[in-house]
Amino acid sequence: MKKRCTHCILSEHFPGVSYDSEGVCSFCRDKSFLQTEENAIQKAQEQVDELLKTVKAQSNTYDAVMLYSGGKDSTYTLYQAVKKYGLKVLSFTLDNGYIPNQTFDNIVKITDKLGVDNLIFRPSKENMKAIVKASALYPIYNKRTMVRISSVCNSCISMVNTQALRIALEKNISIILAGFTLGQIPVNSIIYKNNYTFLEESRAKSNSLLRKYTGEWLDTYYNLPTSLVKNTVEWPTMVNLLCLEKLSEEEIVAAISTLGWTAPKNVDGCSSNCQLNTFNNVIHEKVYGYNPYELELSHMIRKGLIDRETAISKVETMDPELFKSIADDLQISEDEIGNAGSLYKTGK
Amino acid sequence: MESTLQIQEQLLEFVCRNYMVERDDVIPDESLVDQGIIDSFGLVEISGYIQKEFGIVVVDSEMNRANFGSIVKISNFVEKKRNS
Repeated sequence: MKKRCTHCILSEHFPGVSYDSEGVCSFCRDKSFLQTEENAIQKAQEQVDELLKTVKAQSNTYDAVMLYSGGKDSTYTLYQAVKKYGLKVLSFTLDNGYIPNQTFDNIVKITDKLGVDNLIFRPSKENMKAIVKASALYPIYNKRTMVRISSVCNSCISMVNTQALRIALEKNISIILAGFTLGQIPVNSIIYKNNYTFLEESRAKSNSLLRKYTGEWLDTYYNLPTSLVKNTVEWPTMVNLLCLEKLSEEEIVAAISTLGWTAPKNVDGCSSNCQLNTFNNVIHEKVYGYNPYELELSHMIRKGLIDRETAISKVETMDPELFKSIADDLQISEDEIGNAGSLYKTGK
Repeated sequence: MESTLQIQEQLLEFVCRNYMVERDDVIPDESLVDQGIIDSFGLVEISGYIQKEFGIVVVDSEMNRANFGSIVKISNFVEKKRNS
């Protein structure tokens, strides 16, 4: 059995983790962390309130574009954006080809109920499969980025972010909303101004690798048109409203259930919007030795939002059939999966 | 007020604590991005940290590779801002 912190679920291969004589990890022992985070949340709330006041006063068609996956967190965020903050939201969904039917039903039901417009962007199945396959099998991203997220998820989210940024710029929308939680993103990232130049620079190496294993067409999904970048004076601000709330999964689900949201059945315990998740997590564990949800779930345990047993069951219950069905769909052989770890280690 | 070396030390400590790297893993005059230590979130985090810790204001146009490219560049930037 894998060694884990006796308080949270950080396992022995998690970067930088160490345990004391009682088996408590170095992250749980840092008692000042939660207070520092609380202060940062309060400051972020003030910044968000100020920003929303300014943007709402502009009376544009849309105040914000929302990255809407149809999962529980983004559904709750959309609900908050419309009902609590009174924003006019354009929701945006990236259909990566692996969204469960139930999640699509949820997207339609929730956007209709909230009176929100929805845009769907679906890359071709062939291109999406190539991106997923390359992200899973080759060392595209640096290992520090992988502390919070699996490689395939990172490729998908980078595409979502780029496309949402494009929509925001083309439609003159000042805010991009996302449904990330603390643990998924650092506390300083609750609200921040997009810095596309730095983003482009920091992604140059990974984009080049992803392009190498897929094709030149990749830039269509991950880069903005040069003219759009050149003509942009004011970049949109990213806001993660859910990070301002202190809610358990049960409370989130209870709130959105009143809108008609229903949990899909053919996904794992860590996802309510993507069938790739089990596959991504298994590959991540194979390569790095820990589950990409450990950091987020451990953070929730420290905040009292989930109990340790439930968190462990989420990262340790993987359906082998679900994994195999995705591997077959991607035409990835057992040998290729077996080699993934060694490719990462040698950096080939 | 801290010297440039003291600022570098504090930055190194912040980077090691937040990005789970050992001190020996960080080359102070090389890009933190190129070393695989931070991504774009890292830029936002470090910017937030130096504003709070050293009492400076960072505007969007200053968040570039010239100012945030490495530990050395960030500490020089902090010092320049404090003296301006």
